[in-house]
Amino acid sequence: MGAVVSSIREPLITGSKTYHQITEDLVSPTEKTPSVSWTLGFIVSVSLLLFGVFCILWTIWHGIGTWNLNRTVGWGWDITNFVWWIGIGHAGTLISAILLLFRQKWRTGVNRAAEAMTIFAVICAALFPGIHVGRAWVVFYFFPYPNTRGPLWPNFNSPLLWDLFAISTYFTVSLLFWYTGLVPDFATVRDRAKGFRKKVYNFLSFGWTGSAKHWQRWEALSLVLAGLATPLVLSVHTIVSFDFATSVIPGWHTTIFPPYFVAGAIFSGFAMVQTLMLVTRKVLKLEDYITIGHIESMNKVILVTGTIVGVAYLTELFVAWYSGYVYEQAAFFNRALGPYWWAYFGMMFCNVVSPQFFWSKKIRRSVIWTFFLSIVVNIGMWFERFVIIATTLARDYLPSSWSYYSPTWVEIGIYLGTLGLFFTCYLIFTRVAPVVAIAEIKHILKSSGDQYAKGYKAAQQEASRIESVK
Amino acid sequence: MKNDISKSIWIGEQDLSEDKDFAAKVQEEFAPVSLVERLGDEGVASSLGGNRRDFLKFLGFGLGAATIAAGCDIPVKRAIPYVVKPDEIVPGVATYYASSYVRGGDYCSILVKTREGRPIKIEGNDLSPITHGGTSARVQASVLDLYDTHRFKHPLKEGRKIDWQNLDEEVGNAFGSAGSIRILSSTIISPAALKTIETMVGAYSNVEHIQYDSVSYAGLLDANEDSFGMRSIPDYHFDKAEVIVSFGADFLGTWISPVEYAKKYIINRRIKNLDNPMMSRHIQVETGMSLSGSNADNRIMVKPSEHGAAIAYLYTKIVGGSTSLALNEKAKMALDKVASQLKVAAGKSLVVAGSNDKSEQILINAINNTLGNYGNTITWDHTSMQRKGSDQALAKLVGEMNNGQVDALVIIDANPVYDSGHGEAFKMGMEKVKTTVACCLIPSETSIACQYVAATPHILESWGDAEPKKGHLSLIQPTIAPLFDTRQFEESLLTWSGEIKENLDDKSSYYEFLKSFWEAEVFPRQNKFASFNTFWDNCLHDGVFTIESDETAVANYSGNDQAALGMVSKPSNSDLEISFYESVPMGNGEFSSNPWLMEMPDPVLRTSWGNYLAVPVSFNGVNKFIGLNNLKDGDLVDVTIGDKVFSVPVMQQFGQMPGTVSLALGFGRREAGFAGTGIGADLNTSVQLNKGYRQYYHTNVMVTGTKGKEKYFSSVQYHHTFGVKAEDKKSGEIINADEAAAISATYGLVSQGYQGFLTDRSIIYNSNVNNLQDSLAHMHERREEAKHLNEQQIYNGYDELYTQGHHWGMHVDLNACIGCGACTVACMAENNVPVVGKREVSRHHEMTWLRIDRYYYGDAENPNTVYQPMMCQHCDNAPCENVCPVNATNHSTEGLNQMTYNRCVGTRYCANNCPYKVRRFNWSDYTTADIFPANQVPVNGEKIPYGADNLTRMVLNPDVTVRARGVIEKCSFCVQRIQEGKLLAKKEGRKLQDRDVRSACQTACPTGAITFGDMNNKEGQLSKKLDSPLNYIVLEEVNVRSSVNYSMKVNNRDENLYS
Repeated sequence: MGAVVSSIREPLITGSKTYHQITEDLVSPTEKTPSVSWTLGFIVSVSLLLFGVFCILWTIWHGIGTWNLNRTVGWGWDITNFVWWIGIGHAGTLISAILLLFRQKWRTGVNRAAEAMTIFAVICAALFPGIHVGRAWVVFYFFPYPNTRGPLWPNFNSPLLWDLFAISTYFTVSLLFWYTGLVPDFATVRDRAKGFRKKVYNFLSFGWTGSAKHWQRWEALSLVLAGLATPLVLSVHTIVSFDFATSVIPGWHTTIFPPYFVAGAIFSGFAMVQTLMLVTRKVLKLEDYITIGHIESMNKVILVTGTIVGVAYLTELFVAWYSGYVYEQAAFFNRALGPYWWAYFGMMFCNVVSPQFFWSKKIRRSVIWTFFLSIVVNIGMWFERFVIIATTLARDYLPSSWSYYSPTWVEIGIYLGTLGLFFTCYLIFTRVAPVVAIAEIKHILKSSGDQYAKGYKAAQQEASRIESVK
Repeated sequence: MKNDISKSIWIGEQDLSEDKDFAAKVQEEFAPVSLVERLGDEGVASSLGGNRRDFLKFLGFGLGAATIAAGCDIPVKRAIPYVVKPDEIVPGVATYYASSYVRGGDYCSILVKTREGRPIKIEGNDLSPITHGGTSARVQASVLDLYDTHRFKHPLKEGRKIDWQNLDEEVGNAFGSAGSIRILSSTIISPAALKTIETMVGAYSNVEHIQYDSVSYAGLLDANEDSFGMRSIPDYHFDKAEVIVSFGADFLGTWISPVEYAKKYIINRRIKNLDNPMMSRHIQVETGMSLSGSNADNRIMVKPSEHGAAIAYLYTKIVGGSTSLALNEKAKMALDKVASQLKVAAGKSLVVAGSNDKSEQILINAINNTLGNYGNTITWDHTSMQRKGSDQALAKLVGEMNNGQVDALVIIDANPVYDSGHGEAFKMGMEKVKTTVACCLIPSETSIACQYVAATPHILESWGDAEPKKGHLSLIQPTIAPLFDTRQFEESLLTWSGEIKENLDDKSSYYEFLKSFWEAEVFPRQNKFASFNTFWDNCLHDGVFTIESDETAVANYSGNDQAALGMVSKPSNSDLEISFYESVPMGNGEFSSNPWLMEMPDPVLRTSWGNYLAVPVSFNGVNKFIGLNNLKDGDLVDVTIGDKVFSVPVMQQFGQMPGTVSLALGFGRREAGFAGTGIGADLNTSVQLNKGYRQYYHTNVMVTGTKGKEKYFSSVQYHHTFGVKAEDKKSGEIINADEAAAISATYGLVSQGYQGFLTDRSIIYNSNVNNLQDSLAHMHERREEAKHLNEQQIYNGYDELYTQGHHWGMHVDLNACIGCGACTVACMAENNVPVVGKREVSRHHEMTWLRIDRYYYGDAENPNTVYQPMMCQHCDNAPCENVCPVNATNHSTEGLNQMTYNRCVGTRYCANNCPYKVRRFNWSDYTTADIFPANQVPVNGEKIPYGADNLTRMVLNPDVTVRARGVIEKCSFCVQRIQEGKLLAKKEGRKLQDRDVRSACQTACPTGAITFGDMNNKEGQLSKKLDSPLNYIVLEEVNVRSSVNYSMKVNNRDENLYS
């Protein structure tokens, strides 16, 4: 991290922190007994998780017939949830990899939690391809390994197989990246710990000593992994979008899907980061590390990607009209004005209209507004996937086969279960690891701590003076 | 023990009284006495010493003895290899036997496919001069009845098992002392069976045989007796008619002999010469949309009570005279034109009516007579015997029974308690009859009301003959030994009449009777064969025999039609009328115990598992289709017919006369196995007698309040129209009503520039025969566009690979397809397609590999219909194949899109990506083949899931895998048949011919609409069909390179008929 920062930039760490205070603030949550709110949250999450497990077992035991999918709509909530969770994961990777390469210092406040979110979201997502199949017990047929069945290889033409590789790669790289960042922080926790806890953290930190050589290798590895992860931000959702784009179904078969999906993924990912961070900073009192400035930066990303998504929606409509291809026209007509019109307008409002509020600086910097809109965006992005998957399938080429689909309690239960899984993992994460990357925050303290950013204060005063003169 | 009054706990009276023996026994309860001593008699116990080892000895001996004793009488049920293989059975090779399907008056000449001695499939018999190899859905499904778990397995008395000897004795005694015996049956077309009834007449005093049909044709028969002196049905030649007018006769679906009529009808419906296209014109006058009506060029809608008036009106226009009967103006106007068209086609026209009113049928006879149709399109050489029932005779019987004048009643293959229209009265009458005997296969409302049940075998286990039409004889031969302790009713009658006295166990005695009957009665009528044995063997081999006759039968019309004109019923002026109709799969309940037919959707309504109230639907002139009382599909309503209330779901029906509703007969069975019991509403209780004839409509009807939605609305098609047109209220222009309904007024602006919604889809191409050239030019232009688009691609395909060897393909002639559904049931039988039940159908989980899509087009008020059989198109650039991650579906070198069930993981990606939506996923364990026992889904609340028992499983085709839950399945082009045909040709060292491989749907089709074959065989039937310019490929522009060609639907609609 370069030390030269414009003095009028908004400080990224407030409260005139010292190095010791930073350590104290960030490590202490892992050392104290859990708070009441944490315990309550954990109970709710685990309950949801257990219900989800029950629903999954129910599905496997009784068959996909326990879901309401049908001869026309072969994918519903299952793949909708899959794409939604995968999309959510994207923000973490973008923050940790692309923003690292772009030297965006504000990423240090949120990258740890965002990366954790990525990993948990990918776990939730990866669940669905595994359980949505009719015969979950032969899912290993997907894997290309020398086998006694011929040997019989999977079909490398199938986008589902590409998904498998894309997601497993993504998960591996994300996990490595996250863990690499955690190593020096685990060492910090270790240094403060005693007894058995010390041994565990010593193991987890791979015997980190903080030597210059260690730091040098750590920096190099971080960069390499960032380099590896960067294309993944673009490729994973591109490949997920291929599930649809390479098909022949009108409404799926469009070349716009890869960029549109990637933008949507970052959009929803940032919304989820906001949701999580706003709660985390409040509960763990991290307002000094995740400042309003951080929130505003992320809101800007949401505004940009939301607008890209909006443009994509309009482009789809235009192309459907311009193509002169009746099936495409009918598909989009049906999306907007067919039996699922509510999903389409829900999606349009949540994803295109709601982020526009962030043009206002006040709303951008308002915690309440941000929290509310981040939830709205998450709902909207879920709707987007539902619209693309279920609405499109429900009415395709042959009118004789048109049908309608709504989920059963089992499908809803599995979705709730993944939310439970996600939050259970996240809550555990806040208890065992520093939620903000200590080492990286300390890196930028001297350049972005508020006690060092005197120019900013002066500029603010000057601005308010001019304002009052007016 | 003391006798203690205050004792609060006591077990028995001995406990309270001071019984010493009892007290001693109580003390002894746990006494250390050996088991042998306690249980065996004393001598044995003392001689054996009575220890543990002796107990084991006894136990061992007892077990062994019981095993041996039990083993003696147990028939071998499981398959074991033959020690000495019968000559005619080769394991793995099917054997075909010619036989006949007879159910009541329904008849079809069939070939029964047996595998290892078990019948598994029914095919049409090409040698039959009546059905010409065609079949119907009912015929195809009949094989399943053989393996019905609810069949009678032995004779019964008062619901308890009885053996034949006792039954014969008791029944014989009862008959002997009876003052009057009545034998009630459905129409019997078997000469030998009628002979057995004659023996009863000879053996006992006052025996009468009464026949009735579950749906009555008495009006037609009585009218013919009146007009021609013959109480029979003439031969209708639909192939010779240029103008066909049918007043509510569903001759393609249910009327008398639909397979025969469909075959003939379609001859004049095919386009033979494209330059000068000609086809017959079919005008259907009816209330609701019937299968025939949906195939008609023009429909004239009348209320059910107006049928008589409509016939009378046409009569006055053709024969003369005048009628004052009220008729709606539209129908009058149309009938004026119909009359003039009929006159032009005099001698080449045909007028038929489904009415069960004698006077109306007399008028029809007069119309045909005036038009000179007798001797041309209607002949009397081979009169049909397929309906003989008499409503008067039935009513008389019910009267006699209730007056206590009947002492014994034998009911053969009939269910009068349910379907006679006298239900309650009949049941009450039965209670007054001293002895009631039912000869039937499956329990019914009638059989449970009978004292005795003389269980009969299925027709595939029976000997018999049939003469459906005079001079056309058929034999019925068993294809399997009777599965249960059953006896043919003919043999029962022969036993009771004393014809067969000895050999009670000899089940072949009716066979001897049949053979000698044929030797005495049939053999002399022919001169083709010199010896009876060769004659018999030949008949048995062919299944059919036609007695040639040189004379032409002439019947002179001598009807009193003017008197009949005065007798025609006056139309009612009620606001709402209901028409009862016989549905194609269900009949009048005879078929409701068959799960295949229950699951088969009604071809017109597209609903299964129940009867749905067809309500009229109209376009509001702006943007909406509105059903009667604003009812929507699936709404549950109360229908009040007379004083009875039925709760039935609603289906909007295009082409339903406004002010009328229709509901199918044959549902609401109270005793019909698991499939039929309690499904739908029973209308037979509302069938009234009008002038002594059963009348299949009611004028006092109300449809009231929706009570919410039908819980399991089991419809298989939710969108019914393909660009129907209607008048726009504002502009008065004819617009695409479908499109207008889709683009509702609110969103008018949004949809500007929107090009077509349904009409532009390349799914259905249709044309009027008069502008065929224009339509063809349009279609070819569209096909050129599609081809151009398809050339703009980077994928070159592997077309050159398919030019070698076989390349399987199919041709479906939409003009020949009448939508009867025989192919869909044949496909279920051939390919072990499971039945899923009402709930699963309502969730769109039906498993049919082949479905028949039905679309309405043209005038929204009175549309035309197109049926489109839709199955896997075996695309050469298949979208399903490249998306399967595990290669479970792939392409064969012969162009087949193959499914490997073992490999399938069940992602359903292929089903999503199929433009034709023909792939079916096993959502639950429909076949009970799963490793998880909890997944067996009951079809209709049955205890053992349908298909889980070994009996039902006997119907499975061993050449086709039974699919477990979680895998995708779809049409395989009957790959097992392809394989069989290829092997046959290879063994015989010749090239494969068309006949070697025929798909199940192809052989089932009564009209030959489906042609399957090798596209590389340029000499083959398929290649010739593929040359036709009428052909197109569904969704050609998607470039999936489908192997199925459809040919354009052409109608001969007269647009001027209504103006």
